Amino acid sequence: MAEFRVGRGHDGPARVGEYILGTTTFTTPLLTSSFTTRDPIISYGSLGRDNPQSENPMLVSLPFVGSIDELPLSSLRESDSVILPSMISLATISPDAHELVLEYQQNAITELKHSIDASRTLVRIPFGTRPESIGKYAELGAHGAVFSFNGQLGPEDFGSINLRSKLPLFMMAVAVGRIEPGLIPLLHYTGFDIIDIDHAEEAAASGLRLWKNGSETIELGKARRFCSCPACAKLDTANQKDLPSILLEHNLNIYLSVISESKEAMRSGRLRWLVEGTTHNSPAHATLVRLVNRELYKFIEEFSPTSGPDALPVIGSESYHAPVVQRFREFVADRYSAPNDKPIVLLLPCSAKKPYSDSKSHRRFSAVIESALMGMESRVAEVILTSPLGLVPRELERIYPAGQYDIPVTGDWDSEEIEIGANALVTHLEKFSSSSVVIAHVSGGYLDIVRAAESKIEQSLIYTTPEGRATSRESLDALKESLSELKGILSLTGGPRTELEEIVRATADYQFGKGAGKALVPEQAKLKGKPYRLILCSVDGEQVCSYVAESGTLSLTLAGGKLLAPLNRYWVRLDVSKIKGGSIFAVGVQEADYAIRPGDEVIVINKSNEVIAVGRSEMSGREMCELKRGRAVSVRHKKE
Amino acid sequence: MEDTLRRINEAVQQATFKARGRSLSQRKKRDPTKPSTKWISSARVGREQGTALAIVLSTIGCAHARSDSGGCTMCSYLLDGVQERPTSEEIISQFHNALSELDGKQAPLSVKIYTSGSFLDEEEVPPEARIGILNSIAQDERIREVVLESRPEYLTDSILSNVRVILGDRIVEIGIGLESSSDTVRSICINKRFDLQMFKNALKTAKNYNIGMRAYVLLKPPLLTERDALQDALSTIEEAKTLGVTTVSLNPVNVQRDTLVEKLWTRGNYRPPWLWSVLEVIRETSKTADEWVKIICDPVAGGKRRGAHNCGNCDNTIVDAIREFSLTQDSTVLENLTCDCINQWKHVLKHEDFSLVVHR
Repeated sequence: MAEFRVGRGHDGPARVGEYILGTTTFTTPLLTSSFTTRDPIISYGSLGRDNPQSENPMLVSLPFVGSIDELPLSSLRESDSVILPSMISLATISPDAHELVLEYQQNAITELKHSIDASRTLVRIPFGTRPESIGKYAELGAHGAVFSFNGQLGPEDFGSINLRSKLPLFMMAVAVGRIEPGLIPLLHYTGFDIIDIDHAEEAAASGLRLWKNGSETIELGKARRFCSCPACAKLDTANQKDLPSILLEHNLNIYLSVISESKEAMRSGRLRWLVEGTTHNSPAHATLVRLVNRELYKFIEEFSPTSGPDALPVIGSESYHAPVVQRFREFVADRYSAPNDKPIVLLLPCSAKKPYSDSKSHRRFSAVIESALMGMESRVAEVILTSPLGLVPRELERIYPAGQYDIPVTGDWDSEEIEIGANALVTHLEKFSSSSVVIAHVSGGYLDIVRAAESKIEQSLIYTTPEGRATSRESLDALKESLSELKGILSLTGGPRTELEEIVRATADYQFGKGAGKALVPEQAKLKGKPYRLILCSVDGEQVCSYVAESGTLSLTLAGGKLLAPLNRYWVRLDVSKIKGGSIFAVGVQEADYAIRPGDEVIVINKSNEVIAVGRSEMSGREMCELKRGRAVSVRHKKE
Repeated sequence: MEDTLRRINEAVQQATFKARGRSLSQRKKRDPTKPSTKWISSARVGREQGTALAIVLSTIGCAHARSDSGGCTMCSYLLDGVQERPTSEEIISQFHNALSELDGKQAPLSVKIYTSGSFLDEEEVPPEARIGILNSIAQDERIREVVLESRPEYLTDSILSNVRVILGDRIVEIGIGLESSSDTVRSICINKRFDLQMFKNALKTAKNYNIGMRAYVLLKPPLLTERDALQDALSTIEEAKTLGVTTVSLNPVNVQRDTLVEKLWTRGNYRPPWLWSVLEVIRETSKTADEWVKIICDPVAGGKRRGAHNCGNCDNTIVDAIREFSLTQDSTVLENLTCDCINQWKHVLKHEDFSLVVHR
């Protein structure tokens, strides 16, 4: 038996899983090698040509044969999984030859049927396969697929990652070939479950010591880099003949350390950051990472959670289009609606401390606003300019990643950041009345954004940072003065404070799409709490949701779920009348909204569209539909 | 499976034909009275040291390679030939031109006649030319051994009896490119277009005329991993010995221009065999060789990027040892050869099988 089970947890397409072979259960991601079997490594070998290295099950590749009868199948052990045979380079001889690789494997499966069930096999998907053919591979009944890497980080290697992105979600993905340690975080991130590390041996045989981001030729008696690994301690006294085994041990240590770092990064929600950091390994590596970011955005975004670590590092240009960053910009642009009655829009700079309102600078801004407007603060819409999120409406300052992102703060922004910011600003201001007045209380790079957007802004603009820094006495005085003047000019009137409903509505729209705010916080809604603390929202005496300051998101009650249900978004459909227990498993999900991402608040409905629970998704909507195992939703409230 | 293998074969054939391109029609003009090439070397002739003359006649080239079936995936020997069919007289004068190399040489002499095709194909070498050449040999008593080259389909009773009659009691061997004993490998990887049975039949016919058989065994046709290739060569040689060939000539693939192999090689999808593999095949098969079967190997472009090669440091030593062995059949010259790169080769054997990624 060979079975792959996707487990709980995501960071991009990276996942954890269990690989069950016979009575042995491996935890993925795994490495594979021919020279060692230590954890977390599964060994591989060729049928009839390599002997098993241990009792543990292994990946056995079948050599090319004209007829399956030629294979010594009796030497295959019950628990081994089987990689189907193919011919090296066959797919490259003509544009259509990859179809022959598929066809050959189809035949192999048929001929093997009597001794080996298709579910024990892994198919090989060669370079040059067309992405649309992946479906045919999936139909062969194999439990996983093997993709090749030649290590040049060029079109072939990108092609293999691209093909992997088309693989059905339940199938295990194996990466084989020349895979340097520096590529492992990217392969892990793009959802490979087993990664071949035998380049460790190839490099050792060529006198190379591998590092996380490159390699070094070792000659005994010559200067070399310091290494703290136990193998390298032996280099001082080593003979030439010991060198390959010492280098192999070192190289293995590097792979073990890289995969361990990568797994830990995934656990803490920082795998994306780790991958972005590998960009500078080499120009070729940077090209590959950028291609993956650009071409496979949808694939990566689909599995990127909507919550994350307390501090999310967003450092270089690779982050501008990171899924959580780009998604934030898109949601703000598409889902945010301007609240009523905002004659003043105030543009503010971001702060290093998150959330903004906890920072010193923003406390000062808010003190100035209060003293200038005295009870009419609700007439001001605050908008924080920042990179690479573009802008953050005050109401959304705590939602992921606005409340967590961490950027270098020199204030020097490149032209792409300015363009991103300016586009976001133009789109945002279009949502406000053209008779509103926009106060740009910003300087430096922020000011560049406003200037870049200026010609497309309909509202009148006032700049209030005559001397430079937004927090200087002069600037704050100028802001106060402008606000006081506008109060008179625009004849602002007081009225009830609207902060609480604005926060809850904006958050609801952001989480569930346009219209959710109005559905969840209708006119008659009662809100209790303080801004950016716990806010409870009730309708007709029944609580519908609460705003949780820590995550900046809404938790629904069953009643809230019912209010949102007509929007037909973020739903998971089950074929049961009632939910038992605290979890919903993918196997029970009939259908789900493909817009669901891991970490989303979701509504669980039954066949007759009745809301039977609300909860938090543990996987994407498509996974809920396609996977047969794994926790889909953690239930928060359910119909009793 | 057979249908699929046939389709793979067709794809290989088309790719080979395409790789050949217009190279055939663009062959250089040559003097039709001079052979493509000729060289002499010391060689074993029967049981003695002697001198061998090798001649490559300039003909229109191998019929298989000229046809729409594209020829073999690794071979562009026929590019040494000419576009316009030489007359029988011209072919005979090519031979005489080469034969003058042997002036003044002592017996025993060996003459090897290659054509970049089949010497026994009457389309390529008309009967008058063949008979003329063989007659010239018959008149030279120093020549004790004659090696001809042909595809098996041309080894007919009438032609072979004619060869035997003219050459009298000389040792005669016909070299046939068996390449692999596996019909699958021979058809799919090489596009050779004959099966093992045809080779067996040719061998039997030759035996009837006391003509020996030199089997060319290919090491590492395209589409095989290094270890696939190694094992295929080993089993091919064992099979050839069992069938009763008189000589095994091991030919490690070299990258010839305008071939499928070259097309693959240029894009990093093929690497010629390691010299370690060549050595391994010779060592393993010479262990069990009886003294009646010679194993010879002259790695074309050995040590070069287009030929069988190792790391660059040990190549010359190993190529020399292989040539020495071919001459002496003394397997002790193959002992004690080592180099750091043997670890790379061992890695390639395992890892190429598993990854199906070409290791250069």
